[in-house]
Amino acid sequence: MLSFIGRSIMQKIITLFFVSVVSFLIIHLAPGEPSQVDPLNPKFTPEMVERFQKAFHLDEPLHVQYLYFYRDLFTGKTVSWKDNQSVLWKIWERFLNSLPLFVVGTLITWTLSFPVGIRAAIFRGGLYDRSTTFFSYLLISIPGFFFAYVLIIFVVNTFHVPVIGMETFGLGEATWPNALMDRVWHLLLPSVLGATGGIAVLSRYVRGQMLEVEGQDYVRTAKAKGLPPEQVHYKHALRNALLPFVTMFGLILPGLIGGSVIIESIFSWPGMGRMAYEAILARDYAVILTVNFMSAVLVLAGTFVSDLLYLVVDPRIRL
Amino acid sequence: MTVRRLLIFAPTVVILFLLQSYFWVPTYEEQTRGNPDRLHEYITASIGDASILNPILSADSASSDIESMVFEGLIDRDEELRFRGRLATSWDLYEEAFFCVNEAASVPGLGRAGGREVAEYIQRAKDGQLAMASEVKASLDNIQEIALLPAREFSVVRREKGERDDGETEVTIKVAAPVRLKLVLKNVDQDLFTSLSAILGKDYFSSFRGEDRVTVDQEAWKEKRAEYAKEVLPTTEHNPVVVFHLRPGVTFHDGHLLDANDVKFTYEAIMDPRNLSPRVSDYEPVKGVEVTDPLTVRIVYKRLYSPALGTWGMGILPEHLLNDQALKEEALGLGKGPEDFTMRQSGFSRHPIGCGPFMFREWKSDQYILLDSFEDYWEGAPNYKRYTYRIVPDLLTQEMEFYAGTIDSYSVQPHQVERLKQEPQYQNFSGLSFGYTYIGYNMRREPFNDRRVRRALAMAIDVDKIIAYVLHGQGERITGPFVKQTDYYNNIIKPLAYDPQGALKLLKQAGWERGPKGWLEKDGTRFQFTLITNSGNNLRKAILAIAQDGWKRIGIDVQTDLLEWAVFIQERVNKGDFDALVLGWSMGIDPDLYQIWHSSQTHPHQLNFVGFQNQEADDLIIRIRQEYDHHKQVAYCHRLHAIIAEEQPYTFLYVGKWTALLDKRIVILERDAEGAPFYRKITPTKTGTFTFYFNKWIKLTHTPIFAVEG
Amino acid sequence: MTKVPPDLLSGDRSMGAPLVPKQTRAQAFWQLFRQNRLAMAGLMIFVVFFFVALTGLVLTSGRAPFLDPAQVRLQEKLRPPLSNPHLESLTPEEAPLLGVYVLGTDDLGRDVFARMLQGAWVSLTVGFVAVGISVFIGIFMGGIAGFFGESHVRVDHLLSILIACTGAGVMAGGGLISGTVILLLGLGLFAYALFRRKAATTGPVPVWLRALNRETLSVDTVIMRLVDIMLCFPSFFLILTVVALLPASIYNIMIVIGLTSWMGAARFVRAEFLSLREQDFVTAARALGVGSFRIIFRHMMPNAMAPVLVSATIGIASAILTEAGLSFLGFGVPPPHATWGNILSDGKGFIFDAPWLTFVPGLAILVVVLSFNLFGEGLRDALNPKLRERS
Repeated sequence: MLSFIGRSIMQKIITLFFVSVVSFLIIHLAPGEPSQVDPLNPKFTPEMVERFQKAFHLDEPLHVQYLYFYRDLFTGKTVSWKDNQSVLWKIWERFLNSLPLFVVGTLITWTLSFPVGIRAAIFRGGLYDRSTTFFSYLLISIPGFFFAYVLIIFVVNTFHVPVIGMETFGLGEATWPNALMDRVWHLLLPSVLGATGGIAVLSRYVRGQMLEVEGQDYVRTAKAKGLPPEQVHYKHALRNALLPFVTMFGLILPGLIGGSVIIESIFSWPGMGRMAYEAILARDYAVILTVNFMSAVLVLAGTFVSDLLYLVVDPRIRL
Repeated sequence: MTVRRLLIFAPTVVILFLLQSYFWVPTYEEQTRGNPDRLHEYITASIGDASILNPILSADSASSDIESMVFEGLIDRDEELRFRGRLATSWDLYEEAFFCVNEAASVPGLGRAGGREVAEYIQRAKDGQLAMASEVKASLDNIQEIALLPAREFSVVRREKGERDDGETEVTIKVAAPVRLKLVLKNVDQDLFTSLSAILGKDYFSSFRGEDRVTVDQEAWKEKRAEYAKEVLPTTEHNPVVVFHLRPGVTFHDGHLLDANDVKFTYEAIMDPRNLSPRVSDYEPVKGVEVTDPLTVRIVYKRLYSPALGTWGMGILPEHLLNDQALKEEALGLGKGPEDFTMRQSGFSRHPIGCGPFMFREWKSDQYILLDSFEDYWEGAPNYKRYTYRIVPDLLTQEMEFYAGTIDSYSVQPHQVERLKQEPQYQNFSGLSFGYTYIGYNMRREPFNDRRVRRALAMAIDVDKIIAYVLHGQGERITGPFVKQTDYYNNIIKPLAYDPQGALKLLKQAGWERGPKGWLEKDGTRFQFTLITNSGNNLRKAILAIAQDGWKRIGIDVQTDLLEWAVFIQERVNKGDFDALVLGWSMGIDPDLYQIWHSSQTHPHQLNFVGFQNQEADDLIIRIRQEYDHHKQVAYCHRLHAIIAEEQPYTFLYVGKWTALLDKRIVILERDAEGAPFYRKITPTKTGTFTFYFNKWIKLTHTPIFAVEG
Repeated sequence: MTKVPPDLLSGDRSMGAPLVPKQTRAQAFWQLFRQNRLAMAGLMIFVVFFFVALTGLVLTSGRAPFLDPAQVRLQEKLRPPLSNPHLESLTPEEAPLLGVYVLGTDDLGRDVFARMLQGAWVSLTVGFVAVGISVFIGIFMGGIAGFFGESHVRVDHLLSILIACTGAGVMAGGGLISGTVILLLGLGLFAYALFRRKAATTGPVPVWLRALNRETLSVDTVIMRLVDIMLCFPSFFLILTVVALLPASIYNIMIVIGLTSWMGAARFVRAEFLSLREQDFVTAARALGVGSFRIIFRHMMPNAMAPVLVSATIGIASAILTEAGLSFLGFGVPPPHATWGNILSDGKGFIFDAPWLTFVPGLAILVVVLSFNLFGEGLRDALNPKLRERS
């Protein structure tokens, strides 16, 4: 067990190293320079561009830049090229904004997918099953921004209430339940939109797992024994079908730093995705690389956690 | 079954909880009626976030929107675009001119003369004892005072970079300066020395050999002696001087009194190379800033540079918060080394303090910036208690927020103007913007080096069609490089009419004729080129299509290409690697065109990337930037405009119009002589801003009835 | 669970087979697939879409196309669907082919119907090429990992690769000639190392040679770690970064989408290969002296294709959606190519003034992507032997 953990961590660190090299190379070898200074702005002179380059070590060879960058990252000194703010602080701020979206989205996804998927599996081939199949595919087939606009326009024109941003502006000193509920309302649309894909995929997956388990001998035995179907489905089948989902908890982790660029741009939600997108536009290498690195860490940590959970949950695997 | 119930119960609770929140959110009407605070808050939106809230460091429009509220300059421009005092109550503008007495030259009627004789000679000429032309007379009359500066010796140390090795050598330049004359002029006069040479002799100034008075200690740099002499011992020198008298009793938001040292500090901060200020070039002509007394600051310029006065609209920084001492303390407080801690790193940039009408309160990146009204503002606190600057990156959602009442003003897109003007609850304004869109031709390349071809290309594009259909009428034609609503713009020049037949005729003169396949050909080669622009701008994309279509009709084979901004600028524009491109310039009010049109600016990475070269235009550009007299400047500008319109290095397309939409309940609140409030409708100024009286705006619960409409 | 020999996979391959079962595998599959009405609808729409795209290609390309998607008629901008053109203001060649603007016109007066037709082909190409690239890389990587997985990478392989990388680095750093020389040297050494037989064990082996022959990692580990590395990048973010940094072009988008989505296919193929490798028919083929490549391509690949096919179908759907998302952010396929994604994102600014510009492409994407997904789902069900048993 310990040796498994040790080996796994070693492996992940090596992977991480390669990820850092690859992402660094992608960004630095791509054509173009960071547009910290807009080259067409008559107020910038070539000497200033040169000075900026010096300040960001852009005049050094690549491997030196790489070392500089990761040294700064690990000592927490990386600053954004755009506004000189600490990158880690920026990410933390954005993370706090993305977090409620992520939490509500995940909550909707996980609470909704199970009942839908289970019911579809129990009544396999029935009208309910076919319509949920259809609807889940419908949900993942809509171009996200198209769906978002249609929803926003519908809500604003019907209810005349604001939906964009994290809160209603101009509320003044509202009482706390008011302010809280206002925020909840602003969470509703973006998190539902963010969750649609997840609901569709997860409910399909739940259905698949349930079907798989329902076909097992022990479930058939339980049915044959004359147990009430409800007990068979929810006690015998569901418990075993749940097993792989426990490990999926680990895989949620990367979503923490993911944040959808499109949803956040449309809802002007100041989250991680927006920040990363703006950083790409401004070629703010420091932010792009840090976000990339952190998301790689989270992906690896996620797989690690899910491996561990698998070990803990599944008695058949012993190392 | 508990499991089953749980599975149904959980999502129901989650969804119901989320949905009920709707009942807590105010609708459009509830926001204004039910909430008095909302009437004192102005909310606006921008698609991009600010980057750094320090007026000397920022270069983006969102930052400058905020800075214009938080900071205040010495002067600004009024409704008619004339300068108006803000932190300065008034200012004096005069000139000190110097020249070296050329003892070797022979002055008519005087022979070789020393300093004293020349001074007396000029004085005599001034007194009218010599016959002269009227311009010369005017120049002499302008002289207020003549002083003699004795000869002196000094040395200057220059650090020179070697050509081969990267090491620097110190070059000591010894200068034996001759007697010089100092002339104090009432008004700045760029023709002073031309006039003086009319009486002192044509070659009096040009025959002065400064390099003979300069010795260089390093052998290797001897041949640069003439160059050094020009710098350290110029024969003639114009030093325009501006003296600002500051408004007494103005305080920063933290209560600290503003004085002349803050002005001097702001200048020094801009020039400090460690700050990497993008505004260095504006202040580079400044020779020195002197504080005469706490409310008077005197700025001396190295040379004639007429855009200089306008640069003092720059927001003034508080010295006490940003000087070396303050920065050092801040750095130590943060545990960082003070040596590489500059204004850029300072927390000031995210929490600015100025003396403008609004005080900074809070900034959440990519979300909002909040400002509060400054109660002690010297002109009286603004009516709005709060200014909220939201960042909404998507235009469509900005519009939705406007409908939902959480944005007070919305800049309408051209195609929406017609529809939204109909809405009864909104008032709208429009005006010309400060910029134009053009098609630029690479004049270094065939066949664009031929004026006839450029004119023909312009004639083949139906610009009115672009304005009518692409801009939905929200634009006007433009014929030259000046801001259309200023008097520098030459309104006599008429745009080239859409005339494909005329274009073909011109092209025929230039040797292009229709070939067998209908394409224009010359010596067997087809007229073909690529028109490029940056991606992400729909208007430019549309222009690309229309230009391509128009040129195709007269038989020109045009390819189009959209490039990502950075690639477009760095690979194509900066390297001059293009045939023709669609771009836009956003202009300042000042008519200085040096960077974009002077022939010295045609190198890679410079802004005259079309390669426009015209001797007369060069002269005019220089004269414009050296002329301090508005009327003369206008005359030069009109001539320059005519030349550029004739040469057509660009096909000038249009200047766009902006339209803004406001709730009708927002009005100007003023007080009459007795102090009783009355309301006035918001109207845009002649020059095209509707926010000119922003500090007096207020939102009411209902639309008022105005005593005098219009 | 037994596998059907590859020769019986499809009807046309059964010519040499002595035994013809009463139902070929393809027929069985088809029978099963037909029962899934949603999947059938998906397939139908897909076929229709394919022909529409093909017609679109024919009608809208060439120098004088029947329907010119680039024809700008500014006086006819934002006309609603099914409106008649103002013929008096148009030259004959400007008039729409069908006499009406079937789907209206856009903000430049271009015929949306023509643009949609052209976009159908472009969108389809983007989807197919991107998925083609990803499937190709996936099969290649997965195949190598599954088949040669147990071979080990030797130190000399690593060294030569290192030399080649150094060369590439030097080239990127500016030293073009010396870089090329080092790169070629590295590649040459690698090729040599790859085909060099292990040195005979007889006789004393020098220490350095032994060090060179040291086996380090298995090929499988290397490839699976590569998959892990690729999976560490958030895919849309990575695509966005690369597309934003590179000059905009339809090829870049296809290639980038392809290069960032091969990992699933590689894993499927590897898993299939690992199980197939142990199967009797492969052992038999090997015993007959069939070469590795023939075994891979003739015998194993057809059996491993099922999951790849499913993921490819769904991959096309998601590539079309990804392109639409990129278009929304302004990094989609650049003009002159119209794609449904960029018609949609260009139209969104006109949603109140010209709703058809948003709804026509939006619904079209929805329907086509949905049909791909349903078709893929049907394929998965029909190809899944477990589900087959029970039906």
